[in-house]
Order: sequence, then structure tokens, then C-alpha cells
Amino acid sequence: MSLPRAAYDPRRVCVIPFPVAPLLRNKRAIGVYAAGALFAMAQWLFLDAAILSAHARPPPDAPYDEVPVHVTFVDWIPGICSTLGMLVVNLINRERLMGEGGMSLGGWGEGGVVWRARLFLFLGFALMAGGLAGSVTILVLKYILPDYPDKYEYYGVANVAQNVCIMLSAVVLWLGQNTQGEYEYRLAL
Amino acid sequence: MAAGLKTVILLSFVLAVGFLLVILSCALWANWLPLLVALTFVLAPLPNALFRNCSTDDFGAADYAEGSGPVDLGNFMTACIVVTGFALPLVLAHSGVIHPMACVMSIVGGGLVYGTILSYTAVFRQDADEF
Repeated sequence: MSLPRAAYDPRRVCVIPFPVAPLLRNKRAIGVYAAGALFAMAQWLFLDAAILSAHARPPPDAPYDEVPVHVTFVDWIPGICSTLGMLVVNLINRERLMGEGGMSLGGWGEGGVVWRARLFLFLGFALMAGGLAGSVTILVLKYILPDYPDKYEYYGVANVAQNVCIMLSAVVLWLGQNTQGEYEYRLAL
Repeated sequence: MAAGLKTVILLSFVLAVGFLLVILSCALWANWLPLLVALTFVLAPLPNALFRNCSTDDFGAADYAEGSGPVDLGNFMTACIVVTGFALPLVLAHSGVIHPMACVMSIVGGGLVYGTILSYTAVFRQDADEF
């Protein structure tokens, strides 16, 4: 972005440049849009399962049977964890993370800013991974093992899909926001 | 000037057709939940529009390449609301609250409304920038 558009670009690999320049210029906005879309899709996937469960009726040939399983608060927990983790990860100041805070702010020393930033990053990713693991746990323990009909397993699958989408959204947002110094950051990360 | 006038008239027709579809999708089945779709799509460009001017720093120089938090937040929320607009009728139809045909009609109508808003801002952006 900051380099001049000269005929010879030292970063170029191919003789003929790829025609992605107009796309690259809006890369940040595109990344943020994609992340938002993924996030909303994740939440709606799970809400779909929840609403479906709330409107579930026993089959018409046996109207006095009870619906065997419902989406309860347990199913909400992984999604809440993942969303919290995404918030934490994206609230961290990137410059602190890269150790550009300067030695005056502490560096790796006691109470160092970099150390704390990395701890928060770890907590955020742990929350997201925990959400994903929890959703898989719920899918297996609550929906697959007790031998329900296939249409109830959808609740668990939607839960896993929600958490995968939230994770993807966080990754896309992270990558999309790290595009300003493309060359340096790609080396650093 | 005449081209701009024609565009306005065309866009207003498309907007009217979009609202017609949404309202029909509610009225034909006497279930007014799909009306939320129109509201969602009308609200969709709002965060973007609100946060657009936050990209200037204290010295008044815009750093579009660097990006800024509020602008990103606006983009994120806009994308969320747009996906919500498409997902809401699908979810409602999936759980049997609204008729599948009402779902299709409200999605098409909402898409037309949002497309109108998008193309309106795209067509008349130059005037706003000069101002």
C-alpha cells in the first residue's frame, strides 16, 4: 500500500502481476464484512435450532407422545463462550501484542504489557476452543448417544456449526485487520 | 440531470415493488412477522452511515488504508444486519411459523429494498463527496 506502483516491484514473483489490485485495496473492509456475515450466520444457525425446538410437535400419528429432547440452556453455553472469546480476542491492542509497546512499558518484565496482552489472547482463544469442544461434547453426549431420530440430531449439528462459524469469523476479522503492513506482518505472523 | 431524475424514478419504483412484496407476504397469510424483514433491511446501512465519518484522526487527515475501529464496527454491524434480514424469514419458514412462499416473497422484497438503498448511495455518492 505504501510502496510506489513502479514497473518493478521487489515483492513480485510472477512477470505478469495478478489482477487483484482493486480487491486488495478494499481488503480490510471485505474482511470485516465477511466476518460480520459469518458471525450473524453462526448466531442464526443456532437460533434456527432453538426456534425449531420450541415449535417442535409430536408426530401426527402419535399425538400423545412427548418430544424427546429440547434445546435447553446447556446448548446455549458453547455459543456464549465462543462469542465471549471472539470479543476478548478482538479487543486486544495489536501493537501491544507485537511487542512494539517499547521497553518503557515493561516488555516481558513483571506486569509487562506484552505478557498481559498475550495472556488475554490465550484466554480468548481458549474460550473459543472451549466453546467448540463444548458444542461437540453436547452433540455427542446429548444427541448422538441417546439414539434419537435424525431430526433431533440437527440441534447438535447446528450448535457445532455455530461455533465453527464464530471461530472462522474471528479468524477472518483478525486477518482482515492485519493487512495494513502486509509485507512485515506476513513475516511476523 | 435528466439521467438522475430517471434513476430516482426507477429506484422509487423498485423500492415500491419491494415493499409491496414484503407486505403481500404478510397480508396473504395474515401473519405479520415478515414485516420485520423490511425493518431489518432499512436499518442495515445505518451503522455504516453513522460510523463513516469516524475515520478521520485528530488532524483531519483521513486514513482509509489504515482503517479505524469505529468504521470497522459499522461494517461489521451492517454485515450482521444484512445476513439477519436474509436469515430471519428462512428460520421462520423452517420452524413453520410462516408459509415457505411468504419466506421467498419477503426475501425477494427485502433484497429489492436493500438493493435500492445500496444503488441509491452508489449513484449519488459523488454529490455527497463534493459537499
